[in-house]
Amino acid sequence: MTSTPNYSKIQEIVNSTQSDSLPNLNVSVLRTIMVESIEPYVRYHALQMGHNAAVQFGEYDNVFQEAVGGRPDLMNDATDIVLVFMGLESLSWDLARNFTALKPEGVRNEIERVTRHMETILSGIRKQTSAMVIWHGLETPLYPALGVVDSQVENGQLAAVREINAHFRSVLAATPNAYFLDMDICRSFVGGRNFYDLRYWHIGRAPYTLAAVDAIAFEQAKFIRPQKGKNRKCLVLDCDNTIWGGIIGEDGINGIKLSKTYPGSSFFEFQQEIVSLHNRGVILALCSKNNEADVWEVFDNHPDMVLCRAHIATAQINWQDKAANLRQIALDLNIGLDSLVFMDDSDFEINLVREQLPEVEAVLMPKKTPVLYRDLLAGGGWFDTLTLSAEDKIRGAMYRAEADRKKLKAQTTDMKSYYASLEMEITIARANDFSIPRISQQTQKTNQFNLTTRRYSEADIAEFAADENSDVICLSLQDRFGDSGIVGTCVLQFNGGEALFDSFLLSCRVLGRDVEKVFLLQALQIAKDRGCIRAIGEYYATLKNVQVELFYGNEGFEELSQGSVGANKRFAYDLTGDLPDMPDFFKSITFSQE
Amino acid sequence: MKERAYTVIANVMNVPADSVNDNSSPDNIEQWDSIKHMNLVLALEQEFSVQFDDEQVADMLSAELVVETLREVDVT
Repeated sequence: MTSTPNYSKIQEIVNSTQSDSLPNLNVSVLRTIMVESIEPYVRYHALQMGHNAAVQFGEYDNVFQEAVGGRPDLMNDATDIVLVFMGLESLSWDLARNFTALKPEGVRNEIERVTRHMETILSGIRKQTSAMVIWHGLETPLYPALGVVDSQVENGQLAAVREINAHFRSVLAATPNAYFLDMDICRSFVGGRNFYDLRYWHIGRAPYTLAAVDAIAFEQAKFIRPQKGKNRKCLVLDCDNTIWGGIIGEDGINGIKLSKTYPGSSFFEFQQEIVSLHNRGVILALCSKNNEADVWEVFDNHPDMVLCRAHIATAQINWQDKAANLRQIALDLNIGLDSLVFMDDSDFEINLVREQLPEVEAVLMPKKTPVLYRDLLAGGGWFDTLTLSAEDKIRGAMYRAEADRKKLKAQTTDMKSYYASLEMEITIARANDFSIPRISQQTQKTNQFNLTTRRYSEADIAEFAADENSDVICLSLQDRFGDSGIVGTCVLQFNGGEALFDSFLLSCRVLGRDVEKVFLLQALQIAKDRGCIRAIGEYYATLKNVQVELFYGNEGFEELSQGSVGANKRFAYDLTGDLPDMPDFFKSITFSQE
Repeated sequence: MKERAYTVIANVMNVPADSVNDNSSPDNIEQWDSIKHMNLVLALEQEFSVQFDDEQVADMLSAELVVETLREVDVT
């Protein structure tokens, strides 16, 4: 876990930051305990991701009343995050502290009562807001009621608490946009003896130390970041003294430290962690001041390399400055600089990057203690996503294919023959049970080619898909370099003779090959087939989507002068005439009617 | 130490650092309620790596008393 500043310093940071210009993050806390000390940490992490958090607390131990009775000021359409803290002491004193007095059926009754109670609360929250719910699980007891026997038997206190957690984890998994935060993980970081402040537990029912709320807020941020599209996508690695010990240009392939035994084992384990992240969908890139051939020789011939060439989507191995190289990496991969984490052992390079590219998360690797490397990476939490889809798992390979396409493009000058050489096959289909999770994820993650930047949950998409007055279509792309999966989403709403593009977005890695044009034409065709006479496209400006400001205009839409509520620009397309032909360089374009 | 303690008070209560003086207390700093007091105690303990007992926690209800209590736990 990376360390956060101390409480006083954090207060100073959140007090002094002019955050009026940042987008709001409305956080509501429902709790059966006092956790007010978490507020500056929540605001601190929000600031780190470019949000101004406003934290509101429900009344102490009023969760049930607020969830079931309603608290419109705490839970409404503007709420982004609901944090729920339910201490076992308040849920069931007997399970928490008087366990040995319970008979087995008494334990069972209490478990059932507590889980029912929590389910009622969760559904009460869901009726009031569709905001992300982060539910803090129960901590397992530090001093199990039956002593060492508790770990041997099936009906001990540990088993009871774990059962409630397991049950609730599955209830949350079945609830859209609701997540289980494992408090035992937070407590493990801090240690049980440093997690609880018994003075304030007794004085004011505030159980946690500052170290505890620090760890809890850090864990919360791992959920909030992907919810807000602020999780990182690509890990950029230096080579010398980062992925191996020593300097390849000086020490040679037999002299660098990289092995299953000490001292090379630090780097071996670090590489293993990098590959584990890659398997989870993190894109990998190299940025190293070296002779390129030296680096690849290690990749090809060192027996203890865990990383291999196929893991690396793109590499900048040269003697230019690293800020320029990082810019190039972002360009190659078609992702923003704010999607990069950069790891390097040189404070010169790290400071240069921090100064010139503040959007990049630059991590200084302590080269004198490489034993810490693996934990620095595993504990960062920068790359966490809320779900792992099939696309995530092969994303690294897809970005590598994108970088290969760029190389081919550099060789092919005529664009049409370049496009044709890609052998692109497009499939457009209506949303179904299989594609809905990916579609929702795309609306949450896509920032650049996104006309309206509306974030939708799986439930929202399912609703649009089921409603006869709206349609959700998605686009999948395959070419000779690989299958990109679902890369485009469009939500259409029909009102009389008019079709409104509620959402239109494409993954940036497929841009620049007229895929967007095919997708738009197909959407217009659907509207036309329904008998619409006009299609309306809107542009909502964000910090990141300026590239699509003129998209509709460039595709033959006419800009409407009236600036309607909300949208920065509105465009109309007359559907009474014939639509233009599809581009002819695709190998196939299929629209599946189902 | 006094200056560091006053900075912590200013940060936790979100008041200008130069407005904190020996007489600062819940009587003249509106935000200094029981919850902020708890946060202040925890922040002071973290800042100076010390622990106060229940009585000290309840007693240190002004900037002057904060400094006095810190001396009691051997912070100089």
